[in-house]
Amino acid sequence: MRKLFITRKLFVTIVLAGVALGSLSRPVFAQAPSKEEKRRLILKGSKLWPVYCNQCHNARPPGEKAPYEWDQEIMHMRMLGNIPADDARALVEYLKTR
Amino acid sequence: MSAERLFSTFLFAFAVAALSLAGPARAADSDGTDAVAMKQIRSEIRQMREERKRDREVIRSLEIKVQQLETKDSKVQAGTQQLQSTDQKLKETTLELQQTNARVKSLQTKVDAPIAPSQFASDFGRYLGSHTFQITGAAGFNFVYDQQSGALDGLHHATQNTFFFNFEPMFLYRPADWILFEGELEGSFGQAGTAVDLPLADFQITLNDYMMIVAGLFDQPFGDWYENQSPMWVNRFVSAPLPFGVEAVVPPSEIGLQLRGGLQWGDLGQDVDYTVWGGNGPNFSESVPGAAIGGPTAIASSLTNGKSIGARVRFYPLPLDEHLGRLELGASTYNGKWMNGHWFNSWGVDFNYFNGNLQMRGEWVQAYRQMPSNFSQDNRQGWYLQAGYFLNGLNVPGFPDKLNSYIHRLEPLVRYSGVNQHGVAIDDIHGATGVGVGGLQVGLIPDFGLSGSPALFAPHSREVALGLDYWVAPSIVWQNEFDIELPRAGGVFVSSTGASTPAGSIPNDHAFLTQFTVGF
Repeated sequence: MRKLFITRKLFVTIVLAGVALGSLSRPVFAQAPSKEEKRRLILKGSKLWPVYCNQCHNARPPGEKAPYEWDQEIMHMRMLGNIPADDARALVEYLKTR
Repeated sequence: MSAERLFSTFLFAFAVAALSLAGPARAADSDGTDAVAMKQIRSEIRQMREERKRDREVIRSLEIKVQQLETKDSKVQAGTQQLQSTDQKLKETTLELQQTNARVKSLQTKVDAPIAPSQFASDFGRYLGSHTFQITGAAGFNFVYDQQSGALDGLHHATQNTFFFNFEPMFLYRPADWILFEGELEGSFGQAGTAVDLPLADFQITLNDYMMIVAGLFDQPFGDWYENQSPMWVNRFVSAPLPFGVEAVVPPSEIGLQLRGGLQWGDLGQDVDYTVWGGNGPNFSESVPGAAIGGPTAIASSLTNGKSIGARVRFYPLPLDEHLGRLELGASTYNGKWMNGHWFNSWGVDFNYFNGNLQMRGEWVQAYRQMPSNFSQDNRQGWYLQAGYFLNGLNVPGFPDKLNSYIHRLEPLVRYSGVNQHGVAIDDIHGATGVGVGGLQVGLIPDFGLSGSPALFAPHSREVALGLDYWVAPSIVWQNEFDIELPRAGGVFVSSTGASTPAGSIPNDHAFLTQFTVGF
């Protein structure tokens, strides 16, 4: 009983701490990147794509999907792989260059 | 009166005067001389008159010429003016033409130029709207040949020679850049009929750069297999490794809530990520030892007394720029009450290494299930180690280029997996189900991605799987798998009342599975 109580408290603490920390960080709704920022992301994405994707499955070529589909796919992959946010942004910008 | 006329009149008067003055003198000199002189004068006067007449004619002629020249000059002037006017108009027209040409050229350039992808993407994005929808997933066609060399007591068994088809569409719906809905249906057609299941349905909500929430029915984020390797085009083999197949050690899915995220702690590629989650908790097919862990359907309808809690941390130590490949080291735990006050506790470690053509992965899973006092403990262990190598760098000397290009698409694989558990519930073998496909498989009739070999259901099953994949495209693959089942002796089969009988020696077995899969 005591063990369950502790695990529940731990879980709630982790969630609350995460939400609190999260509210201090940058907003979810990121603005469209500037030209220089986009260039940086594309270059970074070109380095990440052959490694990060291939780690779990064969890397799908950028031309396979439409840009809006990559937005969805990478959002999904970011969740599955817990990919750092900036890396996910780099991957999606690279994949959208087609 | 003109000057010439005045001059002629003056000459005539002067001559008359001169004659009147000279008359008296001549009279005085001589009458003959005068007559001659008069004649000469008259002749001269006549000559002068003729000259004057000619002069007049010349003057008239000249006047006519002057008039003609003046007329011509005025015409020339008028022509020159007209020419100047025409020239001005021509200049203006030329300027207009140049401007028109420039406009036409500009338009032509715009028409001829291909639309920039970014521009097209932007236009297409506006066309689609902000709510986007996509179907992804996979489909597979499968054939199993299993020459069952032995049987389990009292169970139906037969040599299998069967085709299957499986279709797993995944729906992604993204109403905004911070939320995504994911839902997957699984439809399978096989020897025992068709089945449809719902293995996934959840919302993914991005809170910020470091936190995401997942709410709904999801693959168990324990280790790597269920979440990342279970899609049929992602799994390098046709079948699942034993601890994630029919003898699952931890539940394959959960319904509940996750908090997860990742961050870079060092150089590019040096990351760490976390996942914590809670849900309905583990569920077993029976309360006896060796009972199978419930699949998605059982989890969704789970009526356990307590909720579950799980956590996973994964660590990536290798920097990308060192070109040492990517290594993942992970540890997971999943715990919850499965019945009354009885806990199910599990933990596992996993690794995953990828470098060029080589990929390796492995997991170790350990589970403890507290049992009522009249039963023995139900502890389980499972593991697998897998390696594969793409032959796309191999050029066999003497082989034609065409043949070498086929070889480049090959990926030989090997996997060793095993499960240890004290007992296996005999009812589960009678009505065993494949992972994610509830209710399709009956007894030892195989399921999609499962050979149905009796050896898989042994308390101490071991399997060596040899694979050869032919990659048509990054997500289109023809997979071939040859399984060598090498179950260890020992353990018990447990009836629904808890009575156990020794499993004894279970014969080795072989199976061949081939599958054509398209990920989309």
